[in-house]
Amino acid sequence: MDSITIGTLPSCPVGADALLAIKRQRTNPARWNAPSWEMFATAAGVHDIELIDANAARGAFVTDAGGTAYGLPHAIVIARSAEQISTLLRLAQHYRVPVTVRGGGLTTEGESVAFGGVLLDMTGMSQVVQIDRKALTVRSQAGIFWHSLAEELRREGLDYLSAPLNMTSTVGGTLGVGGIDVNSARLGCSADQALALQVVTPTGDIVECSDTSNAHIFERVILGYGQFGVITEATLRVRPYTPLRMHYFYYASLRAAIEDLQMLNRNDASDYSGILTIMDCAVNLLVAFDSVERETAFIAQWKRRLRGHGEAGFVLRAAIQYALRPWRLGQALYLYRRKRELFPQFRRPEYMREGAMQDRSVVFSRAVWKFWGSRQMVIPDLATSAEKFVAAVERGNAVCRTYFPYYTLYCVGIKLRAEHRPHYEMSCIPPDADGWAYGCEFEPIMHDVVYSRDHLQSFKNAIYDIGVDMGASYYRFGGMMKGYIRRALGDALVDRHLAMKRAADPAMILNRDVIF
Amino acid sequence: MFALANTASAAAIDHAACSGCSLCLLVCPVWRTTHDLRLTPHGRAKALQHGANARDIAISVESCTVCGACEPVCPENIGLVAAVVALRRQLHSTDHVELTGQDAGDDLLQDLRDTHTVLVLDAALRQSTGNILSRVTAALAEKRTMCISKDDGADIALALECGQPISPRRIERFVSPLRHAKKIIVVDGLLYRYLQLWLPRARIVSLGEALSTIPAVRRALRRTDLYVIEPRAYHANYERLVTHYDELGAETSCSFNLDLQRIAIAATARSLPQFLGTAATDNDVHVNWILKGRTVNRIVIENEGDRAAFETACRIPVVHLGDIAGGAY
Repeated sequence: MDSITIGTLPSCPVGADALLAIKRQRTNPARWNAPSWEMFATAAGVHDIELIDANAARGAFVTDAGGTAYGLPHAIVIARSAEQISTLLRLAQHYRVPVTVRGGGLTTEGESVAFGGVLLDMTGMSQVVQIDRKALTVRSQAGIFWHSLAEELRREGLDYLSAPLNMTSTVGGTLGVGGIDVNSARLGCSADQALALQVVTPTGDIVECSDTSNAHIFERVILGYGQFGVITEATLRVRPYTPLRMHYFYYASLRAAIEDLQMLNRNDASDYSGILTIMDCAVNLLVAFDSVERETAFIAQWKRRLRGHGEAGFVLRAAIQYALRPWRLGQALYLYRRKRELFPQFRRPEYMREGAMQDRSVVFSRAVWKFWGSRQMVIPDLATSAEKFVAAVERGNAVCRTYFPYYTLYCVGIKLRAEHRPHYEMSCIPPDADGWAYGCEFEPIMHDVVYSRDHLQSFKNAIYDIGVDMGASYYRFGGMMKGYIRRALGDALVDRHLAMKRAADPAMILNRDVIF
Repeated sequence: MFALANTASAAAIDHAACSGCSLCLLVCPVWRTTHDLRLTPHGRAKALQHGANARDIAISVESCTVCGACEPVCPENIGLVAAVVALRRQLHSTDHVELTGQDAGDDLLQDLRDTHTVLVLDAALRQSTGNILSRVTAALAEKRTMCISKDDGADIALALECGQPISPRRIERFVSPLRHAKKIIVVDGLLYRYLQLWLPRARIVSLGEALSTIPAVRRALRRTDLYVIEPRAYHANYERLVTHYDELGAETSCSFNLDLQRIAIAATARSLPQFLGTAATDNDVHVNWILKGRTVNRIVIENEGDRAAFETACRIPVVHLGDIAGGAY
């Protein structure tokens, strides 16, 4: 008989580590296991809500992209309509059954892991409802992957404004946390692109909301970590599709690259910008444009002010540097190997036309998963004001060096919109940021090395501690790191939101282990 | 030697490597019609990681259309097609059923020894009307000697699709005459995938690649054509063929049934029950998605089996690549 390799989880993927000496307020929450489940399940059946409780099906949702939090729901519900979700949440309120909402499952702190109760799989609602070419808007169900949305828009010659560089994040999940793109320094975070939402409140009301209608719900649901409702549909701004004209500049100094990035952002000198590094040895400032005109203006006015080098210049300088420091040959070989493997992926001919990159989300997302992906995506981050950013990145970089031989930093700016201030409260946007916020993700490259959960968790804590110390915020609040939200943003603010949460969600059933 | 017949690239089958990225969902025709994670490669891998066996996920295993779209996008390089074939085999008897196939016989063996190119047909092209087959063979032969293999391996393709074990003897009988050919053109996409494994040193090309390489065909393709790539062969040799079709597109400006990841959208994606005729097909969903938002004057198909799906869904003329090669259009 043929056999295939069937992967196995360790007997207890959670309990192996002692987690000693790590400053945290909470670890995995206890599994909810109340007797009301049976009554809830019966009532759900009466209302034609399918509860999928087969072990094989639940196993598909046992963890998230972070791979450090594990939990099983009692059952899965595949989202099919706002009405279905409304009924589900009414029953869940009545029987006090927790409901955890999951989009692409790309959380890293267990936010989309259900520790008992219902896991609501939003990807079942993945249809585009309407594209309005004149108004340049799209109405879509919230469980749609950004990539699927891009596919639909492209058939109309359109594109979304900004979305995470990960094709399998969902629209609803992104609007709940922020979403950053390499054009966020110009267009804001993905959540800023939302014009209106259909939301099912924790008590089951189906509400249409925007900045002008039910604004109090809109403000809380946008960037709200799923606490105040389930986003079922979203109206987003879109734009005509354009390919990208890319430029890369290489730096040996993080500080110089960040300063140049911020200079470009302040002067609106590019349409896209971001920093991607291999450790702090090869710091790549990416600059890109939607049009030849913008590219020409950049070349004429700004390019010469950048302190970065072209690829050839960087290679030459690096060769000289490593020749003078032969004890760092291993690092040099790693850089060379990484460059040889990674760079061609950004220039695959099928994605290039006349020097312009088509489908940037595909190119970047495939590279992200191929070169950074694994069963444990460890990506702690810091979000600060522009003024604090260099120091935050340098401190985070020092932490990375302590914990891992190889890692990547990814930095982007986020243009803040004054009229969206209410959305930003208690979110990844740091309270003291004005004009732009800046975010940096610190991602170890683990290859096949197995690190203990203790090691990974203490690394993340060390990064998050910098945020507390500097008055920063984080993109990945929630789940296992939720203790940080009080330390970073203060009791007064958190308690005010907790009171709003209790009013909106009396049984505290919706995504209850994420923030509060 | 043909243990490979049943497991394909054994080293590549490893559900444990699945990181749950969901990239496979984006290209999966079953996901497109169901939006049910359980029925996708991601869902199967995670279920297996969680201790499920083939029977626990039988519906999912049988729902796969074996189009292979998931393989090129998998960042872990998991052999997802071979995995499904192996899982299907676990659902069925472990005993070999002796497949008879077409007996090639010594006559054909002699023919092939003198032949440059062998064409391995599938049922759809063999049964096609309107002289398509003769046009195809005329275009492919050019100045070379070419013959059609009497043994088209249809029973092997069916067994692979169903997860039926295949005896090494039957495979040897099928591939042995092909070893003498300098070039093997295979119409069936699943057979194409496995022939690459069984005859690693042979020059094997899909019918679509063979025809679309002919200069006259390339010249006859128009900007307003929708060129429908046969997905199984395309995904089985993605890294090479993505370049081939990218160049074809640059040269002719025709559009393709490709998504943003340059993965082919199958027009006739069939689960095992659909393949066996025990469930209704949902080709209209896939065809409508391929056509959505496109302005097309002509649909050019590589796979004759796609014709009915397009002709049912739209009134745009459908022509086989062989028709173009034969100068009929």
